[in-house]
Amino acid sequence: MSSVLEQIEQQIAKLSSKAVKKNTGNIRTVADGVAKIEGLSDVMYNEMVQFPGGAIGIALNLEEDEVGCVVLGDISKLKEGDEVQTTGRLLSVPVGKSLLGRTVDALGNPIDGKGPIASKEYYPVEKIAPGIIVRKSVSQPLLTGIMAIDSMIPIGRGQRELIIGDRGTGKTTIAIDTIINQAKINKVGLASGDPKFRPVYSIYVAVGQKNSNIVRTIGALESAGALEYTIIVAAPAADNPANQYLAPYSGAAMGEWFMENGMDALIVYDDLSKHAVAYRQISLILKRPSGREAYPGDVFYLHSRLLERSARLEGKGSLTALPIIETLAGDVSAYIPTNVISITDGQIFLETDLFNQGIRPAVSVGLSVSRVGSAAQIKATKQVGGKLKGELAQFRELAAFAQFGSDLDAKTKAQLDRGSRIVELFKQPQFNPLPIELQVAVLFAMQKGYFDPIDVKKIVAAATSMKEFFLTRKDALLSEVRTKAALDKDLEAKLQAACDEWKGSYSS
Amino acid sequence: MASGKKQIQQLARQFFQLSLVDGEPTADRVAGVLAYLEKHPPAHSLAVLKAYQRLIAAEVARRQAVVEHAGPLQAAALTAIAAAMTARYQRPIRGVARRNDALLAGLRVRVGDDVLESSVAGQLDQLARAV
Repeated sequence: MSSVLEQIEQQIAKLSSKAVKKNTGNIRTVADGVAKIEGLSDVMYNEMVQFPGGAIGIALNLEEDEVGCVVLGDISKLKEGDEVQTTGRLLSVPVGKSLLGRTVDALGNPIDGKGPIASKEYYPVEKIAPGIIVRKSVSQPLLTGIMAIDSMIPIGRGQRELIIGDRGTGKTTIAIDTIINQAKINKVGLASGDPKFRPVYSIYVAVGQKNSNIVRTIGALESAGALEYTIIVAAPAADNPANQYLAPYSGAAMGEWFMENGMDALIVYDDLSKHAVAYRQISLILKRPSGREAYPGDVFYLHSRLLERSARLEGKGSLTALPIIETLAGDVSAYIPTNVISITDGQIFLETDLFNQGIRPAVSVGLSVSRVGSAAQIKATKQVGGKLKGELAQFRELAAFAQFGSDLDAKTKAQLDRGSRIVELFKQPQFNPLPIELQVAVLFAMQKGYFDPIDVKKIVAAATSMKEFFLTRKDALLSEVRTKAALDKDLEAKLQAACDEWKGSYSS
Repeated sequence: MASGKKQIQQLARQFFQLSLVDGEPTADRVAGVLAYLEKHPPAHSLAVLKAYQRLIAAEVARRQAVVEHAGPLQAAALTAIAAAMTARYQRPIRGVARRNDALLAGLRVRVGDDVLESSVAGQLDQLARAV
């Protein structure tokens, strides 16, 4: 009983009779999630303000005679004349490992029904991106588990790689596959006890998506055992535009915690087109001048300041960003796509035509690029897949010309045959990322011509058979490829022997 | 429409400047401005008057410390508060007492947008938010 009394006494001591200073204002109007407030003479830009009834807002427009605030929460109880207070704090969200495996809203509040989040640290939602001095060049790979990407468009830790394409071309699937692959690598790496192993934690930010889609994504991550390494920040379509505008910044703050504390993180913004739309809505309600496609003048800064926060820091960790942009009818020259393309370090372009032809992932090799290049690849992948992009580009060109004539010389025919086999080999089912050592083995077999005698239509089945063969019977060899990460003469001989063994056992 | 709003604000600000003597609005000047507006009503006169009223109200609020109290408040205490506020804000501030039983005990001093809260009701509110 005495401890209870002590607690109360401590609380009383905290609430000493010292006067508390507040800066206040009064609501003049409330409409569409935005409140215009008279007063608040001391308010700072982006400061949190307290509305009656517990709702909070952010001061976004500081004008001569009023302050425009977006309200995060229920506005139905707010009315003209209500008193609003400044808080002296910038908007912050909880950060840390306690968020892993949880689904939170744009303010970091749990929405998964798993109870409160025990987080002691908070990071501001808006933060200036790391400067030039503290940055380090991207050189460590971040493996997606997708063969077409890891071999031709490699992504490095700290890179910003845009995933762009029309609706229903598999953009989210690539992001989810990457998250699942990180979880798989984390499990193997942490189990190995290697002190140098650096796990990658993932943050998936869902902006303006249907709740059913978010549930499906969570389900996919959970069934793949990846949720324990992932934070989901959800601002679904039903959420107010202010939350949709804030969610990517909240996710970035959570990712920055990992980066600042010497860990590596991956953040997926799904998607920034809807983010721009939410920001346009807020800006128009705030009566900011509109420009092209009615977007406000600072829509470039909206995304550049977000994506610049992804980096690899000297002596610390990294934050890799995979922003997603949805195009309309494959138009990459629209306003938001061109903006984000210019900010990021490359893009993975997904084509509807390829998707409909059954080439999945529908990565367009010609339009996709990674500006980091082979610096973010392990040596083994470079050895077996270094020329793949060129070969495939050549194949596409020749295939286009071959449509006009039937007489082809032997060399051209061989190139076409090889190209069509590579295309088949890169077909991969969703939520099934491949470990890098297996990718190396399959690409090695392709380079050495093991798939050449097989009919093109049977390449997918043959590749599946080879993967099963390696996984079930050549585990030690795969481990060796993984640990060495480069192919020496000895390893090449072993791989060749294994391929010969598979060839002997495989019957098409 | 936006430019109209800007013009209204500008006009109201001009009338507001005319209402000040040594930086403080006086009753005579305000009466003069109102008489002028009655004789020469501008376009959107209602909106101009409302904007003018807001500016005057804000300036008046800046120059007075409204001391809300639940219990008795002695004149000396009010004078002391006014003196303290004058020193704090570096401008002449006069005290205005206002009874508010909802405070339960203690005081709440309001100068312009700033509120200095030391009432029991305020502390209970703070406690409720903390728990």
